[in-house]
Formats: sequence, C-alpha cells, structure tokens
Amino acid sequence: MKHLVRSREALVTLLLVLLVVVTGLFNPNFFKAASIVEIFNASLTLVLIALGEMFVILTRGIDVSVGATAGLAAVVLGTTLNLGWPVGAAVLAAVLAGTLAGALNAFGVTFLRVPPIIMTLGTLGIYRGLMRIVTGGSWIENLPQSIKEPNLWGFLGVPFFVWATLALLALTAFVTLRVRLARYFYAVGDNETGAYLLGLPVRWTQFAAYTLAGTFAAFAAVVFTSQIGFVSMNAADGFELKAIAANVLGGVSLTGGVGTPVGAAIGALFLTAVHSMLIFLGVPGIWDNAFAGIILLVVVYVDYRVRSALELQRRQARIRGDAGGGA
Amino acid sequence: MKWARYLRSWEFALFALLLLELGVLGLVNPVFFNLENLLYSTLDFTHILFAALPLTLVIIAAGIDISGVSVMGLASITLGLVWVAGVNVFAALAVALLVGVLAGAFNGFFVSRTDVNPLVITLGTLFMFAGLAQGMPALLDKLGFKAYGSAGLAAYQYEGITGLPDAFIALTEGSLGIVPYPFLAVLFFALVLSLLLHKTRFGRYLYLIGVNPKAAVYSGVPIRRVLVWAYVFSGFGAALAGVMLTSYFTSARADLGGDALLPIITAVVLGGADILGGSGTILGTLLAGMILGFLRQGLLALGVTNDLIQVVVGSLLILAMAAKQLLHVYGEYRLKRKALSSRDGR
Repeated sequence: MKHLVRSREALVTLLLVLLVVVTGLFNPNFFKAASIVEIFNASLTLVLIALGEMFVILTRGIDVSVGATAGLAAVVLGTTLNLGWPVGAAVLAAVLAGTLAGALNAFGVTFLRVPPIIMTLGTLGIYRGLMRIVTGGSWIENLPQSIKEPNLWGFLGVPFFVWATLALLALTAFVTLRVRLARYFYAVGDNETGAYLLGLPVRWTQFAAYTLAGTFAAFAAVVFTSQIGFVSMNAADGFELKAIAANVLGGVSLTGGVGTPVGAAIGALFLTAVHSMLIFLGVPGIWDNAFAGIILLVVVYVDYRVRSALELQRRQARIRGDAGGGA
Repeated sequence: MKWARYLRSWEFALFALLLLELGVLGLVNPVFFNLENLLYSTLDFTHILFAALPLTLVIIAAGIDISGVSVMGLASITLGLVWVAGVNVFAALAVALLVGVLAGAFNGFFVSRTDVNPLVITLGTLFMFAGLAQGMPALLDKLGFKAYGSAGLAAYQYEGITGLPDAFIALTEGSLGIVPYPFLAVLFFALVLSLLLHKTRFGRYLYLIGVNPKAAVYSGVPIRRVLVWAYVFSGFGAALAGVMLTSYFTSARADLGGDALLPIITAVVLGGADILGGSGTILGTLLAGMILGFLRQGLLALGVTNDLIQVVVGSLLILAMAAKQLLHVYGEYRLKRKALSSRDGR
C-alpha cells in the first residue's frame, strides 16, 4: 500500500519538475530564485487550507466550506483589527472563529449524522452569508500596518510566512506519522467499523478532523489578509474546491485512510505553480482553470491505470504462485 | 389503504409544505396570491430546476455531478459565439445543447470506466469546462476567426454577447396563457424524466446501481452504459439551464450559473434523494426546487437581503437532513423493538 501512495506523490512531483523545466526553457527568467520564492509565497493560502482539508478527507469525509470558513475568519480578523484590537488578540479571535466554524461542521456530521457534503454545503452558504451580513457587504480596508508587517519580515530572502508554513507542515507531517492519536485519522478513514470495534473514539476523531480544517482555514485567512492588506467579500472564494483538488493531486484518497501532509502540500503548490507557469509561458490567465482541471483528470486517470495494472500483475503472480505450489 | 401510503410519502409532505409556504407568503404579501405573479416569478429559478431534475438520476445511481454550473456558462458562451459567427440562433441553441450532452458524456465516460470518485472527476471537469468557457472567445481570435467588434472576440469574455434576436429572447419572455414557456418546459422535462425513472428498465437500473453496484453488475445490468446516460442527462439539463439564463438575461456569458451549486444540490437532497444513492424521485426534486425558489422570492419581496437568504437556505438544508436522519434512527429503533417483542411473544 505504501509504495502506491508514494507513486502518486512521485508522479505529481515529477510532473511539477517537468513543468518547471519546460517553462524555464521557454523563459529563463523563471529559474530566478525570486520567481520560485514568489510561487511559494502565492501558494501558502492554498497549502494551509489543503492541509486542514486533508484531515477531513483522511477520515473519509469531505468539507466544502473551508473557503467560506477562511473568508469568515478573515472578516473577524479585519473587523477586530479596525476596532483597535492588538494584532495578537485579533489573530487569536480569527483562529477561534475558524475553529468554531469547523466545530459546527463537526457537530453536524458526527452528532446530527448529516452527510458531510450536505452539512458543509449548508455551512458554505451560511458562512458566506454571515461574512456579508457582518460587514454589510463592503470590503474591509484601511487595516493597520501591524497586520501587514509580518509579510515583510524575511530570513535568507524567504518571507516569514513561507518559513512558518514550512514549520507547520513539518510539524503536521511528524505528528501524522509518529503520534498515535493522529494515526486515528487513518484508522477511522480506512475502516470505520474496524476502528470502532478496536475501541477507537471514531466520532471524536471525525470531530477533531472537521475542527482542524476550520483552524487551518483560519491560519490561511491570517496569511492572505497580511499579504494583500484588505479583506474582500470574495476572499478565498472557490478555495474549497481547489483544496480538494490539491489533496487528490497529492495522493490523499477520497476513499479515506490514505495520504500525507507533504502530498497535500505538493498538490497545492502544483496548482499554484500552474498559474505562474502559464504566465511565464505567455498563456493568458483565463486558461488557468482549464489547465488545472485537465491536469487533475490526467493525474487521477493515470493513477487509476497504474493501480489497475499493478493489481492485475499481483493477481497473475498469485495465480502462477498457486499453480506452482500445487504441482 | 393505498392513499394512506401516499399521504405518508415525502413528496406529499413537500407538497403540503409548498402550499403552507405559499399561504404564509400570501398572508404577509398578497402579491403571492396572484397566480400570474407567482408563475412569472418562477423565471428566477427555472434554471435551478433544469439542472437539479436530471441530477436526481445521477444521485440515485450513487453518483454526483458538480460540473453542471460550469456547463451552464459553457453552453451560454457557445450559443453566443456560434450565433456571432452568423449561424441562425436556434441552430446555435442546438449546438449549445449538444455541447451539454458531450460534456455529460465526457463525465459519464470517466465515471463509468474508472473507480475514481465521481466528485473528483466532476470537480476536474468543473474547472475544465469553466476554463474552456472563459478561454474560448480568445482562442477563436487566435485561430483567426473574424469578429465584428474591433477588440475581437476576446472582448466577449468580459462583456458577454448581447443583441440576441427577439425570437430567442421570446423563449423566456413569452408564455402560454399565464404560464411562462420556461416553466412549461420544466414541467415537461420533469414528466419525461419521471416516466424514464419510474416506468422504464433504465430507471430501475439506476436505483439498483445506487443500492448495490456489485449486485447490479452480477445481475447483468449494463452499468457503464446506464451511468453514461445518467450523466448525459445531467449535462443536457445544465445546458438547458444555460440557454434559458442566456435568453432571460439577454446576454451570453461564460460565467452564468456560477453560484447555483448550493441551490441545485439543496433541491435534490431536500427532494428526498439519498446522497449515498438508491432513493429519490423527480417529483420530490421538482417540489423541493419550487419550495426553495418561492422561499427566496418571498424573502426578497419582504426585503430580506440575498446574504441572509443564503444563511436561511443553508440552515434549512442542514435542519431538513438532521430531522430526516433522526427520524431514520428512531424508525430503526422502533423496528428493532417490534422484532424483539414479537419474538418474545412467541
């Protein structure tokens, strides 16, 4: 099972490298360190949202409200800042708001037993609506300099938020690989009944997954609010679908129990990089969506073919093995 | 006792809810007691019904198609571009519908030939169709098609294609008596799909695939062909919605229908279809779509903002599902109790 997961991550990484090289050949400017850093910087929002979504998908759920959650958290951040709250408190409020939004999804899915796609589709509407009700539909502008400051910090020419996201990614990767409690996500997603019979807290594991998705969406809100310096009403619009696409690209299976944080992050980086590469290749930005969609389809199709070929091979090997054993 | 079964059905509950809703809205605002007004206001949500009705077939077969919202824009811009090229507008309409059928067939092909989750496939095509719709005007420019305006076809990408002939606009402006054509078309579409679903072998296959795909395969159901057709209907319905919106807004745009996903899926699920497959009816979707549509109209008429309506619709979806789940759990509990007591009685 493990090498299969690797193969998806390897496939996408290979594709990513290939695209980078091709783009670089057409436009050598692309190889400049600055543009690579720029891609990383632009991908942070999606990486963070996709990481949160990963927990939900690992438990075999789905959350289509994460974009709206990020938008709502950004509104809380912007509103509290403009009320004169210190940055630390405002960020805390935003993270809390995101976490609560995630917890509401979690409550609906685990205790009311509403199917995940319906629960989160409902809250998608609720959170988007709330965002506009809170702000009266207007953008939140004139944010204090204090929130824009972190975006200017850097170390070794790499922005602070890139380091912070990398650190969070490393932590998530370590925890999901090594910490027993975090393995519950995999167990529940792989075989819910089995996990239940083993005595794992299935409902609470699912609860934690949706809540974490909300928390990570709030992290993303803090990053993009600092980066762009205002909160628009379509902030993170459509990111829920991109986050799912990033996970699928990165080898996190919608059937649950399979995938890694690094995979999800690579998927998100890939989707963002496609956008930058098209610009460097001189293709207008309007083709972004078409390319993202085609790449997603190609990757899942190739992955399916590889999997069925391997499965066939395994079966034939077993038949041969059995025949040999009998003789 | 057959009527008792009808009275207890989900569809009857929806029908009662629809009447109750119209009654309440009418008491608050007498405009809703005017049948002509009421029918006219359906124009604002017929596109939801066009897309939701055939999506019911897909969901019954345990599939999902979220790419419909992009097919709407793709069909609309196709219609506009073909018309700009000098083709008769009704021929352009046919081409747009054909695009919807092809888009559906594309989805169906991938869903039926792989074990990849339909949500992933239609997510991919959602992006792909939206991208195609946005890029098509510019692409045609590149390919050297002559445009009327100086800015080339690419300009249409932002402005939409306007100036469509009156005969085409009349498709949504016109009415038979007091029933607007689009609503009439929705009823006809619902009738056809309903007969297909409940009176043909194809329909029974859809339910069987939704309940147990393995059993369907072993009992010789042509599962691939049936699935492809379900998605073709879904693509066709979305294209119809796109065409209807084009006529209604008198403009062909690539981004039509972008925010319709929530109401479309809400209509199907509220209509009684199980998102995991195996149950659902066309009548249920039709009634639920109308309940949601009129609710929106009513709230708008009361001065409620669009944002709050979004919150209300979202909450309604969750509450309806939660209630249904709780009733289901209670029903199972009662069934078990009954089984236990009857065993003890022996």
